[in-house]
Amino acid sequence: MGLKFLVVDDSVTMRRIVANSLKSIGYDSFVEAGDGREAITKLDSDGSINFVITDWNMPEVTGLELVKAIRTHEKISHIPILMVTTRGLKEDIIEALQAKVNNYIVKPFTPQVLKEKIDQILASV
Amino acid sequence: MENQSSMEQVFQKLGDLKQFFVFGQKIVPVFQKIIDFMHDIVPLLENVNNSIHDTTSKIPKAANQINNVTNATEVATSEILDIVDSMSMDMTRIKNELMDLRNGFFNQRVVLERFGEDFKHHNGTYENLKSSLSIDELESRVVALDSIIRKIENDSSNITISLQVQDITSQQLASVNHLIQSVQKRLASLLFDLGKQTDAVLPGIESSGEIDTRSFNENAEYDRSGKHQAFVDTLINNSQKASQEEIDKLFTK
Repeated sequence: MGLKFLVVDDSVTMRRIVANSLKSIGYDSFVEAGDGREAITKLDSDGSINFVITDWNMPEVTGLELVKAIRTHEKISHIPILMVTTRGLKEDIIEALQAKVNNYIVKPFTPQVLKEKIDQILASV
Repeated sequence: MENQSSMEQVFQKLGDLKQFFVFGQKIVPVFQKIIDFMHDIVPLLENVNNSIHDTTSKIPKAANQINNVTNATEVATSEILDIVDSMSMDMTRIKNELMDLRNGFFNQRVVLERFGEDFKHHNGTYENLKSSLSIDELESRVVALDSIIRKIENDSSNITISLQVQDITSQQLASVNHLIQSVQKRLASLLFDLGKQTDAVLPGIESSGEIDTRSFNENAEYDRSGKHQAFVDTLINNSQKASQEEIDKLFTK
């Protein structure tokens, strides 16, 4: 089964950039969500999503809260999660790792870095 | 004796009264100075009060202008992304055409070689035909075009990466807006204490809406050096070697 990404970001611009980057590295199956709450709804309703790329800073439900929600949700806890965020402080990264994100990208990113991180995650899960 | 004692008390009281008048004579100019000072300072305080009121009433406009900037840059970024997408589709089409041309040159070369075999006894025919078709020259021009297309693709990719600045600056602006809202709240509170009408100010706060502090990173910065990612990668590599207990320990430091 191919990869179907859920791209979660409150910025329309960033969702488009992540989607374009995914297309440029050969992935063209993805859905989008504007915040963590919408992401959870999409994950609940679409069982074919098998990879989550999420921002951290979002209204309603943040990316970190989304990661924690996914990890405690029995049916979807195994889904790989890649955090793509502007937060680059040590404590942020450690907090994300504690919440069990699979990998972490600091914005601005290149499609090459995105590919590298996706490949690393796929190789490790 | 009793009358003498009473007189002494009267004189003592008179002495106290005299001292009071002497003190009064000294203190009156001080009071006068205080009154003069108050006379001067009250209009200034009134000015300060009015300035605070003016500033506070202008803050919602500033906050709205910042929101407008964020919205305008988001629309402009979206338009640029539309153009980049369109360019990418055009370039894919051109690349496919160039690939077809290169395949065509390959086929022509095969046919030409076969022709050369078939007409090897006709002196100069093969060479003349090869020279007039100039396949090598045309192919090298196609290769050059292909490298230009790849450069344009790379430039488009760089534009897309640079457009991430919109998200980063919008977070910085949201942080500034949050600060402005905090200042406005403090000033509104101050005006309330000073007895000014706050009706003109408080609705401004409500109309611009409370900013969810979790929706932005006040430390967001646009840095393409890659040093942040290198730092993240180092931490992740170390954490993969470390146990969860060690990560928790690192976190509590």
